[in-house]
Amino acid sequence: MSILLSIPTLGLVAILQSAVVSRLPLNRGVADLMLVVLIAIALQKTVTTSWQWSIVGGLFVDFLSGLPFGIFTVSYLLATGLALILRERIWRFSFLMQLLVVLFGTLFSHAISFLALFLQGGEIPLDTVLQMVTLPSIILNFMLSLPIFILIQDILEQVNPQE
Amino acid sequence: MNIRFPKSLRIIALSLIAIGILALALSGVFTSFSRWIVSPLTSVQTWVSLQYQGVENFVSASQDIREIREQNTALEAENARMQAQIVELQQQLVEFEILSALLEFARANPEHQYIGASVIGRDPSPFLNYIIINRGSDDGLRRGMPVVTQNGLAGRVVQVTATGARVSLITDPVTRINVRVEPSRSAAVLAGSITGDITLEQIPQDDDVNPGNLILTSGLGGNYPANIIVGQITSVRSRENALFQSASVQPVTDFSDLSIVLVITNFEPVDFSPLIPESGTP
Repeated sequence: MSILLSIPTLGLVAILQSAVVSRLPLNRGVADLMLVVLIAIALQKTVTTSWQWSIVGGLFVDFLSGLPFGIFTVSYLLATGLALILRERIWRFSFLMQLLVVLFGTLFSHAISFLALFLQGGEIPLDTVLQMVTLPSIILNFMLSLPIFILIQDILEQVNPQE
Repeated sequence: MNIRFPKSLRIIALSLIAIGILALALSGVFTSFSRWIVSPLTSVQTWVSLQYQGVENFVSASQDIREIREQNTALEAENARMQAQIVELQQQLVEFEILSALLEFARANPEHQYIGASVIGRDPSPFLNYIIINRGSDDGLRRGMPVVTQNGLAGRVVQVTATGARVSLITDPVTRINVRVEPSRSAAVLAGSITGDITLEQIPQDDDVNPGNLILTSGLGGNYPANIIVGQITSVRSRENALFQSASVQPVTDFSDLSIVLVITNFEPVDFSPLIPESGTP
């Protein structure tokens, strides 16, 4: 997929993330729409620009977030790396891989965010974070995974009908 | 033999016969006879009439159904338009109520100047309690300006772009605000948390604070103007050996449903950093 296409597409995803998805919390956790979308893209075998899409998506969310700049980009790059490793080694059960990468991607993202806030002086109890933020976020990300994965797969089949 | 009567006599005879028949009919002699004759006629007439009505309905029904369908379509469109209008009016009513309350707040606190802003998003990270508003430096917003709702303090502007700004809410985990408790006037520090709850810390052990006491900004620290209501104490925790008491606070602002806020534009936060001695300075 063209890298130019990533700018409007992921820009829209970032706006949806901030304006809609972030307003629908489960306990204190919220879904990370951008993470789920980037992982679904990275797991498609026809996509060769996953790294670039992750950087663009990460930058968009970093611009919108008050966390130190680069945290989301690093998190998304880690998740994309994991997705690409799994994609090359396991050639079936793509959707199960999506769930697995979403799980680890959310954990990466929250671990880095937690560390950044801890270094900034925030007093955040780890057990509270796991119970009230991370676990609900994982559940919400899992709920988004299936529709997003199917949507991305369908779009790519439309774009590359010969595949 | 053919007997011929005069014409006048025939007329008289026919008249008498007619009168006689009428008299007999009026007296009811023909009733059973007429019933016997009319009943089959009525039945036949009813059957014919029903068949005719059926044919007439069949012919005219297609015209009626078309008209009814057209009316139904028009009514459905009208209904949809009215439903959309109701939703729009309900939204406008909610906005109007919020704006009225904000105006009331602004009138009650005339020492400040305000700019109204809509909440257009929240921080993508669940670790931060930030909102994004649709006013920025083009509208005169600057970093550090306090943000209030019709009920009380909401937070303060931490980042500004030309057309938008990010506001750190008082529930954010890294927020620390100097406040005082009324009526005891005890000084304390308000702290946010990852759970969205806010607590009151560093209340001197001897101070008399109780559930129901009001929390207002003290103005100390220079980050917020004084006397803005923040919340109400719900419970107090005090241990014998501890230096300070702590308390749970119910904020006056409902942070889950923020849609419009006011930014106080005539407040300049005080920067104390030049007064803080650097490490190694005597």
